[in-house]
Amino acid sequence: MRALLQSRSREARRRCVLSVVAAPDLLLLQRHLISPEFRLGQVEGRWRHVATSWPYVTIAVSAAMRPNAPTEYGFRFLCSGYPQLAVTCQPWDLETNSALAFSHWPTGRAIVPSVFRVEWKGGVCLYIPCDRLSIEGHVNWSQEHRSRLWDPTRGIVCYLEQLYELLNQNDYTGVRCS
Amino acid sequence: MSECVLFVQAQGDSRVVEVVVPEKVSESALLARLKELGMLGAPNLLVFVDEAEDQVRGEVDRPVEGVRHGARVHITGCRRIGVAVHYLEKTVERDFAPGARVRNVKAWAVREFHLDHKDAAEHVLQLCESAERPSGDTPLHTLLHGGCALCFNLVPEKRVEGAF
Repeated sequence: MRALLQSRSREARRRCVLSVVAAPDLLLLQRHLISPEFRLGQVEGRWRHVATSWPYVTIAVSAAMRPNAPTEYGFRFLCSGYPQLAVTCQPWDLETNSALAFSHWPTGRAIVPSVFRVEWKGGVCLYIPCDRLSIEGHVNWSQEHRSRLWDPTRGIVCYLEQLYELLNQNDYTGVRCS
Repeated sequence: MSECVLFVQAQGDSRVVEVVVPEKVSESALLARLKELGMLGAPNLLVFVDEAEDQVRGEVDRPVEGVRHGARVHITGCRRIGVAVHYLEKTVERDFAPGARVRNVKAWAVREFHLDHKDAAEHVLQLCESAERPSGDTPLHTLLHGGCALCFNLVPEKRVEGAF
């Protein structure tokens, strides 16, 4: 019996080790989260890593000061298949660890609201060419928005840079219902 | 002695390299560290910190001005970068430090072209003869591909549109 239990225990450990090793997308994401490009953004206060709960990573992105608006927004990224598959991202409430209420989504005059569309896919992703869910069916974006496409070599930094740009340009006016 | 991390970028290369140096590193020690890492291999390369106008000259006892945790260090062959920005039929030109950010070039161009707040928000800089629209944080020298000049068009930001 003891031999059987030891054998099962060894098997459980082996499975555990295998399950950790068998997630190359997680390992590649972790590599990007400690890359100089990501750390530079953190040190400069553009974004900060909040938590990783595979296959999700939550990151806060700083926003320009606006009346009655936060100085950062949380975003939860689905990263399975990273980085060959683009991530998809949803505005996230960091206090309640749940989807951000639509009334608290960022907005603006023209450009920002074209990306933060609450009516698009029920608000589970952003209307931006680097997003895994949104690029589907938009073949024209590959030509029209080449600077905004997902780049597997840069990974999540290319998405974060675009979010930071959106939340720190004059077009951004604050939250939808302030 | 406490240390700080510098983020080093070389001309024409968007990649970033982290380098750890003492907090009050001297000019000569910083250049020696960069040489040791093989980042100053080519002759005539200059080193700048953040958006400083003056290069790091390599003086032995002089602490590098502007060095702090997270500072950017730029390695480039250009002392200044000549920038031309086109908007409609007009063009404005001036020189910038190699580490100047695209955001500052846009702010200057917007003033020169007298764009109002709304128009400024709806325009971005796009490299001439390219579809590349570098982010505002991009240091100018990383966009160079030969020479010491850059050309931008100030173009309307495209709203992301398509079938819902």
